[in-house]
Amino acid sequence: MKLESGELREKLAAEYVLGTMPARTRRRFNTLLKQMPALRRNVADWESRLLPLTNVLPEIQPPARVWKAIEARIHGNRPPRTAAGFWQNLSFWRMSSFASGALALALIVFIGLPGPQAPVELPGRMVVVMNDLQTKEPAMTATWEDGKQGERIVRLRVMGHAEMAPGTAWEMWMLPGENEKPVSLGLITTHETQTMVVPASLAARLDGAAGLAMSVEPAGGSPTGLPTGPVLYAGKCIKT
Amino acid sequence: MAPDQLSDLLSRCALRDQRAFAELYRYASAKLFAVAVRITRRRDWAEEVLQESFVNIWNHASGYSPSKSAPMTWMTAIVRNRALDLLRRPREVELDEDHEELIASIPDDAPGPDELLRQSADAGALAECMKQLTGEQQKSITLAFFHGLSHGELAQQMQKPLGTVKTWVRRGLERLKDCLEPRNA
Repeated sequence: MKLESGELREKLAAEYVLGTMPARTRRRFNTLLKQMPALRRNVADWESRLLPLTNVLPEIQPPARVWKAIEARIHGNRPPRTAAGFWQNLSFWRMSSFASGALALALIVFIGLPGPQAPVELPGRMVVVMNDLQTKEPAMTATWEDGKQGERIVRLRVMGHAEMAPGTAWEMWMLPGENEKPVSLGLITTHETQTMVVPASLAARLDGAAGLAMSVEPAGGSPTGLPTGPVLYAGKCIKT
Repeated sequence: MAPDQLSDLLSRCALRDQRAFAELYRYASAKLFAVAVRITRRRDWAEEVLQESFVNIWNHASGYSPSKSAPMTWMTAIVRNRALDLLRRPREVELDEDHEELIASIPDDAPGPDELLRQSADAGALAECMKQLTGEQQKSITLAFFHGLSHGELAQQMQKPLGTVKTWVRRGLERLKDCLEPRNA
């Protein structure tokens, strides 16, 4: 199939989304979708065009057994550690042990964090450009501003199309400075833009932090309260 | 619920927040179940589709990107793809009398999707564009879209040659696309 042709991709994507493809073609198309980002874009465009059609359907309440079955299936699936969820409550990050990952982080802070490579104009009181430590390219930015009741609203922007390995989590850390252990700010996703709320109790330390870092942790976050996995991104805090 | 709020719930699902997931289900399940029921035309299959889809949403919430699609579009695509895959799966057991009672819940006198579209005041630009298609184009597209009919089934249903039906669908889709995104000359 000559799928380099935009016209053909467009035609097939429309048929796929409309749902007229026979079984065998659908299966082959599903395989192609995994391999071709351009085709995925064609499909996403058609989904945006056609799927709002479903808005006209009257809602049908599913029976309670469906939710029960779903709940049973996801239950063993790493329940959140706090009832309030990760965003609301960061207090479970206890600074009880000192893991080797923390040493590695401390070394990054003092040997020298990568600085921002290009001036970035972003709103907020602080800006951090975090580089991918392997490629030395900027990979994520963080800015923050005052929230209500002394909280800090941290806006994160993940650049490019980062992928998280299955069964792992990305954890953000602030590096308060010399002789201080990293402090967890919670887990983040690979979404391009996201917001974290840092509680007032950590605000002063965040404002005075030397840098931020992101490490790869087991699903659910670091079991020790300190980084245990490799640090992917890190950067220095710059006052704006 | 605004798309932003739904995106926020999906981010929290990615962080394994089960309360956010329950909220998402409360908001979206009846809309998505309606989609599954229309396509599968069987309650038991529609329930299976909804269950699989929500487990999928939970497991893949971290892969959702608000810059690529609206949250409801993303979830609807998951449900439709599940339903279509199920529909296209070779069926070992054909419908028998025992299954008759399970067959969809859409009473015969209920308005069809094309009727709903015509009545719909708020389906927005898409409904407006649908109205610009010819009757055959509109009918073949809504039958395929809502009931998951393949080209062959469409031809059978509409009692027209396969080639004719395919052309209606293709031209209809082209017109819809042009209507939704007028080309700047």
